[in-house]
Amino acid sequence: MIWKFLPRDLQDAIAGDLTEEYADIERRRGRVRAQLWFWSNALRLVIAFQWERRARGRPLPPIADEAPQHLSFLETLRQDVTFGVRMLRRQPSFTIVAVVALAVSIGAATAIFSVVDAVLWRALPFAHASDLVFVGEQRPREGRVNGPVSPADFLDWRASQHSFAAMGAASGFALNLTGNIEPQRLGALAVSSGFFEALGVQPAMGRVFRLDEEDPGRSHVAILSDGLWRRAFGARPDVVGTSVMLNAEPYEIVGVLPADFWWPERPDVVVPRAFGPGDRTQRATHMFPVVARLAPGVSIEQARADMDAIGRRLAEQYPDVNKFHFPQVTPGRDIFVGSMRQPLLLLMAAVGLLLLIACANVSTLLIARATARRQEIAIRQTLGAGRGRLIRQLLTESALIAAIGGVCGVLIAHWLVAAGAAVMPARLQNVPGLDRIAVDVRVLAIAVAVTAATVLLFGLIPAYTAAGRSTMGPQQTRRIRAVLVVGELAFSLVLLVGAALLGVSFHRLLQVQPGFETTNLVTMRVTLPLAKYTDYAKTVRFYEAFLGAVQHTPGIASAAVVTMPPFGLQDSHSNFIIEGRTAEMPYPVRTRPLAVSPAYAETIRMRLVRGRFLTTTDVDSAPAVVVINETSARRFWPNDDPIGKRISFEFGKPYWIQIVGVVADVKSRSLDLEPESEMFVSYLQKEVVAGSVRAMTAIVRTSLPLDAAAPLLRRAVTNLDKDQPVGAIRSMDDLVADSVAATRMNLWLVVAFAAVALVLTAEGLYGVMAYLVTQRTQEIGIRIALGASRHEVVWIVLREAGAMAAAGIGLGVAGALAFSRALGSQLFGVSPTDPIVYAGVAAALAVIALIAVAVPSSRASRVNPISALRT
Amino acid sequence: MSAFENIGEFEHMVLLAVLRLRDEAYAVPIRDEIVNCTGRDIARGSIYITLDRLETKGYLTSRFGDATPERGGRPKRYYELRPRGLDALRESRRALNALWRGLEATLA
Repeated sequence: MIWKFLPRDLQDAIAGDLTEEYADIERRRGRVRAQLWFWSNALRLVIAFQWERRARGRPLPPIADEAPQHLSFLETLRQDVTFGVRMLRRQPSFTIVAVVALAVSIGAATAIFSVVDAVLWRALPFAHASDLVFVGEQRPREGRVNGPVSPADFLDWRASQHSFAAMGAASGFALNLTGNIEPQRLGALAVSSGFFEALGVQPAMGRVFRLDEEDPGRSHVAILSDGLWRRAFGARPDVVGTSVMLNAEPYEIVGVLPADFWWPERPDVVVPRAFGPGDRTQRATHMFPVVARLAPGVSIEQARADMDAIGRRLAEQYPDVNKFHFPQVTPGRDIFVGSMRQPLLLLMAAVGLLLLIACANVSTLLIARATARRQEIAIRQTLGAGRGRLIRQLLTESALIAAIGGVCGVLIAHWLVAAGAAVMPARLQNVPGLDRIAVDVRVLAIAVAVTAATVLLFGLIPAYTAAGRSTMGPQQTRRIRAVLVVGELAFSLVLLVGAALLGVSFHRLLQVQPGFETTNLVTMRVTLPLAKYTDYAKTVRFYEAFLGAVQHTPGIASAAVVTMPPFGLQDSHSNFIIEGRTAEMPYPVRTRPLAVSPAYAETIRMRLVRGRFLTTTDVDSAPAVVVINETSARRFWPNDDPIGKRISFEFGKPYWIQIVGVVADVKSRSLDLEPESEMFVSYLQKEVVAGSVRAMTAIVRTSLPLDAAAPLLRRAVTNLDKDQPVGAIRSMDDLVADSVAATRMNLWLVVAFAAVALVLTAEGLYGVMAYLVTQRTQEIGIRIALGASRHEVVWIVLREAGAMAAAGIGLGVAGALAFSRALGSQLFGVSPTDPIVYAGVAAALAVIALIAVAVPSSRASRVNPISALRT
Repeated sequence: MSAFENIGEFEHMVLLAVLRLRDEAYAVPIRDEIVNCTGRDIARGSIYITLDRLETKGYLTSRFGDATPERGGRPKRYYELRPRGLDALRESRRALNALWRGLEATLA
């Protein structure tokens, strides 16, 4: 087939020659290379003969062959480029406007693409990532998916599953590194055996954990992250086998992780998760994300069926605790980047619109210029320039503009990516891939492709109109420009509606009352090590002493500690039973229990609805008490007063706790989530807490700025225990801002795109209307001479512009209605079809359009009939 | 101006290669011969185009030869110098020799 492009009398001979040489190359270098060789040579021959025919025509003129065959093509290209550069330099304002429009939009598109590429398209940082799955809990009744798993469930799953080559659980916590170095608080990960096998991670040095290291007696082994190994151990090659003090206990280092190891919590150190006898029956506390690797040949559907059967069996066996939740198998990518997909695709769409607007804009500019160059083009045609040759010349000029725009765009993208990395919200930093964003070869390839596409998009129509078979009249070119401007208006409207919806949504989100006073609160996480704080009383003594010291510091109004602070990262739920309640509840009886010091409600200024909050007299010797939030009251005691009722977190032998108060709901994790059931118990009542309070967040209400409060808090800790490190000290306002940082970034990007789009559209509209006025100056002059008033003249311009604006806005509203449906999941408190937003944006765009035509229309009204007619 | 048109350097080489190969002169060995003798890498396209051009000018004649299975059943196209081609080579050589005379010491 390819031979068809060769001279007929040579086809057979050439094909035969290549086939002959192919056989030889295949013998020596293998089939693939031979194929490659064959086709590349065939193609080169075709090209060579095509040049030959173009350049000389066949039969060939009898001339010697000093000149390379393709010089003529390069020569014309060189001429076109030289000429194009000259033309662009002659009209610098046109060139600058076009280049800036393209550079900004190509830059934005490239930057967004680099993020999409790194996060959505490139493989997860795990070996054979497509086999990696998450096994979580789904709770259909609560609408929860991919929840954490209880220890006993995990152990049962792992023992009875047949679908996975490996299955492992992990939970993040903090460890204190002590010894001969400055005490540090380390991010730690406790993992079951099978965790690294499931992720497909091989240690850079040493080994991963063995199954027998899940035994509490043998679990004092640790694997270091590459970072910690370099930072704290000077990258010593003989670190494996040495010992390190973690939480004041010796751990043997058995391995070092590879530098590219990735896990959301970015642990510094990994230790085995020891499963004691208590864990093996613990089904009420859900704490583990579980990862697994599909066994060879097992599909995710088969794995789901397998896990479903196990889940059903466990639900029958343990109806009290397992009735409402089932295992759920999800591909790893959905878990790691699932939440990023929607916003990123949204940004891609926005930036795509911006690119289209920019192309339409440059296109209208080029058409205007081509019209101005009608004379030049006519001369060239008269002198024998073919239509193809003219189109090529004009396209070369477009390509030049695009190339300059593309290069500037890539620089802008580079800068945007660097700037973006610097302002990346902390919460986003554990999305895999975000740390690998770069304007690299792949991204550059896309930038080049986008630039080439823009050349065709914005260059082809003007080139065609200018060099058309029958040169188009001014009417036709104006119509084409009008269509382009209408398109710009429509696309702008879509972008503006998107930006406005996100803006309104964000505004509503910020207006959500978190249920407590966030200003002037400072938080600090403290994790006391188990080895030193073995008994509960000692832990409480530490925090009481700490609170006592802090409360008497000038500038600090009140202080409290809590296990899970609002807008913190900690989360845990417990099941409980209600005394005397046997009827099945519509909701699973679950809550988020928080152990607090009595001053908690006062410190964060949580509102008391009924009864009382916890006090300093609620100690071990006093009756066991609990305070619940309004959601709990509504959900579990919908028809009666919860005060005086009793609940228990123990199932076999209930330990009854009496409800003494109800507090208003507090947004505890994010502004856009509905509050959930929460219950507050005093950490002074050991039996009620029935867990550990070694890890607490101190919250203080202070008039001091963060910089002044931080050293005070740190000193209060080290005064009590000089080896005790503290976590990051943050203000509550910062934590709240963090929780909406990703939304905020999204919003600003879309707003920026919309603003650029608006400027480009206004400029396009202005250009078309100004051109219209120039074109119809004569007609307007005659009308004025015949007695038309200035108003009537202005009306001519406005009518034309109004028609375009109306068409653009109408199309845009239709487009936005379709497009905004995809936006629904990103919006909070505003409907994607909110009529006020649409009306507002349409009105704003109409006003902008009016401003854009103000100058041309006033120019029309000032047309002097005498001079207009003389020209 | 001689009765012959000038032949370019590459045409010169192709003609010589055809001559050297005698009965075996088709594109593949012609290229091999030039590559082996001159050490230059020669594009296949220029071989075909030059052969074609030389044939058009009347320096070469060609015939189709045997079609072997290893060529996918396609015939070889053998080239042979016509007297005119031989004359052109002789003339070219004479001209070059004349120009070379006296320069041996300078360019040795």
